[in-house]
Amino acid sequence: MSRTAFLIGGIFPYLAATVFLIGVVSRLRAWRRVPQPGLMTVYPTKGSGMAELAKEALFFPSLFRGDRTLWLLSWSFHVALALALIGHLRVVTALLDRGLATVGVSSSGIAAMSAIAGGGAGIVLLVTVMTLLARRLLVARVREVSTPPDFLALLLLIAVITTGNVMRFGGTHFGLAETRVWAVSLLTFSPVVPANPAFLLHAFFAELTILYVAFSKLMHFGGFFFTVALAKRSQP
Amino acid sequence: MTDAQTDRDSVVKSVSAIKSGPRALRLYMDVCAKCGTCAEVCPVYYGKPEAKYNPANRSDLIRTLFKRHNTLSGKLLGGLAGAKDFDQAEFEAWRDIFYSCTACRRCAQFCPFGIDNSVITRKARTILDGLGRTPATLQRVIKASLETRNTDGASAVAFKAAIAFIEEEMRDEHGVDIKIPVDVVGAEYFYLPPSGDALVNIEATMGVAKVFHVLGMGDKWTMSSHCFDGANYGLFTGNDAQMKAANKACVDEAKRLGVKFLLMGECGHAHRVMKAMMVSGMWWGELPFQVINCMEWTADQIRAGRLQFDKSKNPQSVTYHDPCNFAKSCGIVEAPRVILRAACLDYREMTPSGAENWCCGGGGGLAAMSELREFRMTVSGVKKHEQIKSTGAAFVATACANCKRQLAQLMEHHKARVTVGGVHDMLSRAILVDGKAAERKCYEE
Repeated sequence: MSRTAFLIGGIFPYLAATVFLIGVVSRLRAWRRVPQPGLMTVYPTKGSGMAELAKEALFFPSLFRGDRTLWLLSWSFHVALALALIGHLRVVTALLDRGLATVGVSSSGIAAMSAIAGGGAGIVLLVTVMTLLARRLLVARVREVSTPPDFLALLLLIAVITTGNVMRFGGTHFGLAETRVWAVSLLTFSPVVPANPAFLLHAFFAELTILYVAFSKLMHFGGFFFTVALAKRSQP
Repeated sequence: MTDAQTDRDSVVKSVSAIKSGPRALRLYMDVCAKCGTCAEVCPVYYGKPEAKYNPANRSDLIRTLFKRHNTLSGKLLGGLAGAKDFDQAEFEAWRDIFYSCTACRRCAQFCPFGIDNSVITRKARTILDGLGRTPATLQRVIKASLETRNTDGASAVAFKAAIAFIEEEMRDEHGVDIKIPVDVVGAEYFYLPPSGDALVNIEATMGVAKVFHVLGMGDKWTMSSHCFDGANYGLFTGNDAQMKAANKACVDEAKRLGVKFLLMGECGHAHRVMKAMMVSGMWWGELPFQVINCMEWTADQIRAGRLQFDKSKNPQSVTYHDPCNFAKSCGIVEAPRVILRAACLDYREMTPSGAENWCCGGGGGLAAMSELREFRMTVSGVKKHEQIKSTGAAFVATACANCKRQLAQLMEHHKARVTVGGVHDMLSRAILVDGKAAERKCYEE
């Protein structure tokens, strides 16, 4: 284990997780504490709150009506991201595997699903995020509002996604089994860091991104629920 | 301290206060993804796609300053974290920039996060107002409103004369006395229009009076000779104290009159302040009356089959422009259409219509600013003109004095032969009183 590899695989994960948790929780708490006198309702809304909030979170209907192209990019990006995150859960839990096995999926079937869903998600993520970057550079109304943090977020994502894809599709495949060994070593506080370069780069960029979340617009994953709830709520 | 220092301290302090709310504004400082959807749906940016008219850029003037002074990353990293310190030269442009937003809230309808840039615009205007930088035209309106309780600066005597004139007109039209009760304590309904509907564009008030008359409720309602304007320009200048003072005067008058219903007129922002802000924000606690709008009320009467019309009195093609404050902020979309369909032969919709309709280009107080006429005609009103033109309608009905002013100027600017008026105007021309519609003089060419 080189010193760099140990930093990336044995130290930064704890740091990133700590900063992420403290940062996100304190941000959410700060938002919750702030009062909202009066209504902010923007029609059309049925004023039902939760149902419409869920619809917005799952299908982005407002964006669909506002900008169809961006909707397609954004929605497929987020769906693929969700798939990728679900796939990553398999590193720390066997729940998904067991669930699939219970309904009769064979282990080679699970592997095939992982290849299709996970591999597909990796490609969709890369295509959409690259297109989002191109859009930010080429479309005037987006370019003129773009600032360094907007590019930083995209570049970080591109780095994470690319290295992730290299792990799956690259010459020296680094898969679930190897990652599970590392995760177990982390969770038992006795980190053993593999030397696979694609893995180390992927972990490094993922850790940077996770560190960055609480200080960036990526917090919209939580803020969304506050702002949309305010816009849809029609009763005090 | 120099003026520049005063400006800086005051602006930074006021922007930093966002930390403690309101919640929506606080969130807007953090979550914008700069996706550009707001620009895509903004009437101003549609009229002129320039960076200074891009809603996200306008809002960023506040956002960058907030980040610079209230976030760790902003303090440490500055521009890299999307933060920027106060800049006097930039601040000098604030008035023009924040008075080029019509506060229509269309961005909020399509933003994937529901970010309402008009809230940020209003915050900036609050800051400008605190430093005496509210445009002089709007300051004059506010002054008249606070001194005389109406934005036209009219006296009670002038109001009573106008009411007498309206009653005379209705007698000419129908040959019967249709009363407009004034200052009647103990009435059930207190009708509060924008002052223009009592003094200048009188047909809307005629329409409301005729509805009460036909229902046999001619003695159940009242207007007030010293409170006949629901308009509230504090909403536009961002001055909460003035907004609340003007609002309290109306609420106190409704209490004094002892009414059960405060019947707001065809004025979008007046209705919004009264209903969506005052009532739901409990500004003055529990109220002894309900706030309703005259269009909803009349539409209910039509739905119940209590009013009859001679549609041939409105033979021309009519379309309806949804005032943003009614449609986007209060969800009043169907009621005006019920009235217009009942009273007009050829009613047609704009595209889009309803809550997602485009702003007239004069929202947020801009219609009252004569110095912005060029901007309203050639930038913010461009889309609206296209929309109206493609309906082929000869008459645009709308329920807002500011929309009416903007639309009339817009039609004049484009030499379009389109007349602009109110919703109850069309009702007034076609409603049957004792079985007969008005024998009308010609109000327009």
